Amino acid sequence: MVHLNAMAITHFSFKLKRGSMDFPIFHIDFIGNRMLIAIDAILHVIINHAFAVGALPIIALLEFSGMRLKDDRWDKLAYRLLKIIFIITTTVGALTGVGIWFSASLVNPAAIGSLIRVFFWGWFTEWIVFVAEVSLIMLYFLSWETANRSPEAKRKHLRLGFFLATFSWITMAIIVAILGFMMDTGNWATDRTLLSGLFNPIYLPQLAFRTTLAMVMGGITMLGLSYLFTQDDFSFRTKVSRVISRWSSVWMIGLVGTAIWYAKVIPTHMLANVPVAVTTQEYVHWNNSLIWLLVFGLAFVSWVLWSSVKHSGKVHGAKYVISALVLFAILGQFERVREFIRKPFIIGNYMYANGIRVDDYPLLQRDGILQHATYASVRDITSDNQISAGREVFEQTCTRCHTVNGVNSIRDQLKNMYGEKPWQSDVIAAYIDNMHGARYFMPPFPGNKAELNALSVYLASLQKRAVAFYGVQHTGIPTPDKTSTSTVYGKLPDLEKIHGDQY
Amino acid sequence: MLAPIPRDIPLPLPAPEGFLDILLIVSFLVHIIFVHLMLGGSLFSLVCQIKGLKIPDYEKLAYKIMQTVTVNKSLAVVMGVAPLLIINTLYAPQFYASSALIGDMWMMVIPLVTLAFLLAYVHKFWWNHFVNIPELHLGISALETLLFLFIPLIFMTNINLMLFPEYWADVKGFFSAMLLPNVLQRYLHFLSASVLLSALFFFWWTGRKTVQESLVLDAIRVIDIRRFFYAFAFGAIIFQILTGLIVFISLPTQGMSWSFTLSLILGGLIALPAIFWMWQNLTNSSHLLDDNFKHIIGCFVLTAVIMGVARHDYRENALADHKMAIAEKTANYMAAVKEANDEAKVAKETSKLNDAANPGKTAFEKNCIACHHATLPTVGPSVQEIKNIYANNPTGIMTWTKAPGKKRADSMPMPAFSHLNDDELMTISQYILNQ
Repeated sequence: MVHLNAMAITHFSFKLKRGSMDFPIFHIDFIGNRMLIAIDAILHVIINHAFAVGALPIIALLEFSGMRLKDDRWDKLAYRLLKIIFIITTTVGALTGVGIWFSASLVNPAAIGSLIRVFFWGWFTEWIVFVAEVSLIMLYFLSWETANRSPEAKRKHLRLGFFLATFSWITMAIIVAILGFMMDTGNWATDRTLLSGLFNPIYLPQLAFRTTLAMVMGGITMLGLSYLFTQDDFSFRTKVSRVISRWSSVWMIGLVGTAIWYAKVIPTHMLANVPVAVTTQEYVHWNNSLIWLLVFGLAFVSWVLWSSVKHSGKVHGAKYVISALVLFAILGQFERVREFIRKPFIIGNYMYANGIRVDDYPLLQRDGILQHATYASVRDITSDNQISAGREVFEQTCTRCHTVNGVNSIRDQLKNMYGEKPWQSDVIAAYIDNMHGARYFMPPFPGNKAELNALSVYLASLQKRAVAFYGVQHTGIPTPDKTSTSTVYGKLPDLEKIHGDQY
Repeated sequence: MLAPIPRDIPLPLPAPEGFLDILLIVSFLVHIIFVHLMLGGSLFSLVCQIKGLKIPDYEKLAYKIMQTVTVNKSLAVVMGVAPLLIINTLYAPQFYASSALIGDMWMMVIPLVTLAFLLAYVHKFWWNHFVNIPELHLGISALETLLFLFIPLIFMTNINLMLFPEYWADVKGFFSAMLLPNVLQRYLHFLSASVLLSALFFFWWTGRKTVQESLVLDAIRVIDIRRFFYAFAFGAIIFQILTGLIVFISLPTQGMSWSFTLSLILGGLIALPAIFWMWQNLTNSSHLLDDNFKHIIGCFVLTAVIMGVARHDYRENALADHKMAIAEKTANYMAAVKEANDEAKVAKETSKLNDAANPGKTAFEKNCIACHHATLPTVGPSVQEIKNIYANNPTGIMTWTKAPGKKRADSMPMPAFSHLNDDELMTISQYILNQ
């Protein structure tokens, strides 16, 4: 029975290629929903770029050097560095990765739920590679000391290290494909397959940029830690620093190239999607912030690496720490810009950042979103319930990105726009109506005129009284009404009656 | 309370539902085995460490057990990704709803697990640093174990809540969901499974020569330790049967069926020979503890597989009607979406024809309306205001538009519209002045 339903849905979705989904609305009003994901994801990305993808090849390199030079100081250092990598990646690293799933599912289940349906096998493959990576790092780390018992065992152990570094990079290659898809659906809009979604024009430049950045980040962090661990052996410090610096410098050259490549591809691509001249202003501001950070940041790190090659062992550890922080900032800003230029969409041309699909708009703008939101507490707007209805509209259409009083606060936005003069709801409504034209990162308003007016009344009321918005994790969902407990309501057709016994 | 019926994600499943079900059952079993070993390991390490205050050999054992926890914890996490992914795929409307309802505590899983893991590393890697402060060492071990004990309760609460949409409207925050039937009973059953599985594992593990050698234990101590674990395992299986019966009678009726009941009975029955053999090994001096070990494990594996399938059966029973209702509602909704899109297309065609008759309005709406409303100030001044400022002066508007200055301190600067030619600009300007 359930299978027939799945087939019916499949049939309809292929035919109609649209739909919408609704979920109880989780909300954090202080740091905001976006920052929840951002904190978790940036932490994860810094760890996996610097300590996994970037650092693991260096560990293998150091182990190899120790074998070649028959000097066990290299081996001891490599093991010590690996211990730190092991601890960080298997605790904060792994858990923040799972945390992205958790937070994305709470903040925008519509988006992540849709992506899983399309990219399930991509993520499944990624997971298989993760299992390999976790097993390999445990084997590599936990068998280190026993592997030193014989040259044959040591050779096998080193091979393990290279495998581990490779698998770590493969996980990056897979996830970048999915990230690229969110910005540009490529042929998926017409094709709707995993492959057509994976190979979009942003993929290769982004992967190349991340790989080189990760390698440099790994190099700098390992240089910093090695500096710390070789305090009492200056000649060894010089040798180690030379090896790691040379490795990192090669990648640094690559990073400059890939950064230019990526910086070229993105604007051409994103601006092509942007119709109105005014919006390029905003975009240019955002892009510039990254460009300047890249130029000055990479210049500084290049200088540190160059001195590290030329005067190995003499560069003070603090320079590595600052370089690491600069690289973390570059990566963080890069992620921010990537997230920003994807707006107003969360899945390009398919779903807006508010979790509502492009194709849902005609229905919602005709009937109103409150008619169709299963978990809404207000359905009809009257002259008496303007503010509470408006607040409900705010919850359904704005809270994925805005808070009332916290980060990206709507009250602050209104203050910036209208200052101390009394806020007028009709002015606010007029603005929101065409807002998506002036602010290209904003989705169009997904409701009808009555809802737009109610929302504007609510927003105007925030000037005097702004109560923080609480999500369902505090308030629970409203008592289910006829709309939410029925399969047919309002203007919805009853296909069972029309098509007969198809279910 | 009537259950809310949300809409589903109307994208096709990535594979046939039956295949995903099997994948879910298998991957979840693998995940839960490692969770049991991790939790049980942490528990046993604490117990052995306490025993180790009087008997040093147990302290060495406690340390070695933490080495298994290091491995099992990472496998527990990575193996948890697959069932999480599949649950997200198969049960999106239910699972995202229950997750949101316990959202704060659900999100807390991440920092709590991270903390538990970091504590486990402190506990293990710095073992010899605590020689003079064993109390602190025990405190860290206890905190780590408490975290491992609490975190599964969050998962169980979520997995339970997703099954009963009729309760969703009653839930306000994590604790009200945790107290729903029959989370706590299932949790006790889960706990005894952790003790059972890890006790059996450590019994087997301490029987291995390499482990005995690395612990430097004499033969008598080895027997003592193995008997310690075996006795725990036996106690755990008795507790497991009792809690299993309690779970069975307290399960909400929504998911019950006769086939499900029969599988539970079958699963329980298969464990009986194992219990008999274990009892025999413990009490009859002509039997060794190692007797029939493979058979005992075989029974428990079968039981676990049957229980794993039965769990899924219960879930499907509980949600069968809800899933159908969701599918119906989704189909109806999508038909409405199509209808509205078709209407909008027609309306667009009509307005296109009207626009051809009014090029000024069309050009204005394409380029200017985002910031200039007819009567109210939005991003820039209203059309009425512009009309007043530039009365009878269309070229004035054109000049400004090509190179806007900055007249208003509190307004956003207007960008230049240099891509519009003079004809277009004149059309727009005249439209404005005619409003």
